[in-house]
Amino acid sequence: MFSLALKNIIYYKGRSLTTFFLSLLSALLFVVYVAFMDGSHKSMLKNSLDIYTGSLQIMYKEYRENPSYDTILEGVKRVEKRLEGIAGIKAYSARLESYALLSTQEDSVGSMVTGINPQKESQISKLKEALHQGRYLEKSDTTAIYIGADLAQRLKVKIGDKVAFVGSSIDYSFSAENFEVVGVFKTGLFEFDASSAFVNKSYFDELMLSEDMASYIVVAVGDIEAVESIVSYIQTKMPQDIEVASWRVLMASMVQAMEVDSIFGYISLGLFFVVIFFVIMIYGFINISTRIKELGLLRALGLRSGDVTALLFLETALLALSSVLIGMVLGGYLAYYFELHPIIIEGMAETYKEYGIVSDAVPTRFDLWTICWNGAVVLVLNFLAIIYPIYYTRQFSPVEAMRHV
Amino acid sequence: MKKLLLTLIFLSTLLFAQTAQTIIKKLEKNLRGTDVYSKIEMQIKTKRHSRSMLIESWGKGKKKNFTKILSPSRDRGITFLNLDKQMWQYIPKIERIVKIPPSMMLQSWMGTDFTNDDMVKQSSLVDDYKAKVLEKRGSIVTLELIPRRDVAVVWGKIVSKIDTKYYTQVEDIFYDDDGKKVRKMSYSKVKKFGSHFVTTIMVIVPFEKSKQGNKTTIKIVDAKFDQGIESSYFSKQALKRYSR
Repeated sequence: MFSLALKNIIYYKGRSLTTFFLSLLSALLFVVYVAFMDGSHKSMLKNSLDIYTGSLQIMYKEYRENPSYDTILEGVKRVEKRLEGIAGIKAYSARLESYALLSTQEDSVGSMVTGINPQKESQISKLKEALHQGRYLEKSDTTAIYIGADLAQRLKVKIGDKVAFVGSSIDYSFSAENFEVVGVFKTGLFEFDASSAFVNKSYFDELMLSEDMASYIVVAVGDIEAVESIVSYIQTKMPQDIEVASWRVLMASMVQAMEVDSIFGYISLGLFFVVIFFVIMIYGFINISTRIKELGLLRALGLRSGDVTALLFLETALLALSSVLIGMVLGGYLAYYFELHPIIIEGMAETYKEYGIVSDAVPTRFDLWTICWNGAVVLVLNFLAIIYPIYYTRQFSPVEAMRHV
Repeated sequence: MKKLLLTLIFLSTLLFAQTAQTIIKKLEKNLRGTDVYSKIEMQIKTKRHSRSMLIESWGKGKKKNFTKILSPSRDRGITFLNLDKQMWQYIPKIERIVKIPPSMMLQSWMGTDFTNDDMVKQSSLVDDYKAKVLEKRGSIVTLELIPRRDVAVVWGKIVSKIDTKYYTQVEDIFYDDDGKKVRKMSYSKVKKFGSHFVTTIMVIVPFEKSKQGNKTTIKIVDAKFDQGIESSYFSKQALKRYSR
């Protein structure tokens, strides 16, 4: 049966080659498309996490829903003490976020001013690495401010200029200070760079009356894949009124947006597959139609209808398996290569900065499981495409088939 | 007969609408006078914090208001100027006059249940809303205030109870654009200052889930009407000048 199927494939080489290349192209395209889609999503998410959000955050249980001074974390030192020695935690640091007014003679802008521990923060986020001009914050800084590049542009300030901070202290009394711009950062996250500024938390606490308080504690873990188990473990160590949230929860809207984007990606790819499906089916139908006489002869020679069906399935299986396998290998190689050496599209980050694109690099994501299921889909598609042509041949009795013109 | 009935209905609706507008105008005239100086105590309570403030305020007409904080000492000397729906503030510690940008207008004013926007637009009920009488019970009239089409306001609707004996407010309920209650302001203890009646206690309770437990109580300690407040209070120079 196998050798007969192979002989048929070689004999009908026109149909075989067409089906083979269509199937190979589909598998290759599917694997590469999904690799690029997943790669860009992963890259956007990773950038956001690495730049600021961190792997997980610890906060007062109502803070996430209602971030205000009435829901900030009190007793930060006590919470931090409980984090000591937990396996998997790389670093942690408290942040105090405050929506305040930054003002110069030129303009006033509502901004997120955050008190950070400069040293600890550099182990968690990329704020220090994002330095664009001047210097990063230091432990001894008091009225020094580290400001986003786009915010600096809006306020028209440069290194050494003064910026007035006007906000509310924790008890809702007024807090105000003249800060000196010591550094400008540029992460590439447009919204972030246009609305964020950082000051030394030890001084900020004096200004905001927030000693031993924080909006949340940000934690970096060694292995991001293990974040959920670390979250569960930390939660057991914390009092009831403390919430520990992983990046999946913190970035839920971004994750959802990416899922929606993926669905649209699959829908557009699905339309392509519908076309491929019908092309393979039509080719298969034409081919089988021309072979009805031959198939009738095989039946007359003693082959059962099931044997003929098995023969046709075997031909499809040989073609589909070989083409999908080659497509998967080629697609997998491309996914792997471009994960290591991403394509660079000059100016892309600048053009799409509002969408959270921070790099000109377009990486892929090499994932063996994804490649396997992508290949399986194309394989199934090949088998589905042959069902109707086979059903058509089964309508004929051996005598009818042999008389078929 | 039918025509007569329709005319009567139309006329009575018109009269009711006129009555509502007249009530609002009289209310604003009573509250504002030509000009008004007031000394106000504020108590602000949130879930975790409570504090009190003493402020002085000078107002002239609908669009001019100057406010100065007397206590607590940490905030003493901070001044605010509202002019034509714009707001500036002066902070003595940094010696700076800062204009509040539009993006900050919905932020809380000094931790109270007022927003900066409330402070600026507090006296534009006549100009910004169309009033309709909902109910009359003795001297208490309930009005429904719907924003005028061409006006940008925060509230979708205000239902206001007004005591027409003194032309003072009894209760205001503020609704958002979806018709959901946002906050309630209750007024009590009417006192006469000169020829004007003033409710000396005002309590603001927000309905939003995130603000449950919050309460702002305002007590008018003193009020002087039609004293001829100098126009120098309503300029940006005043922010620094009257800060001391």
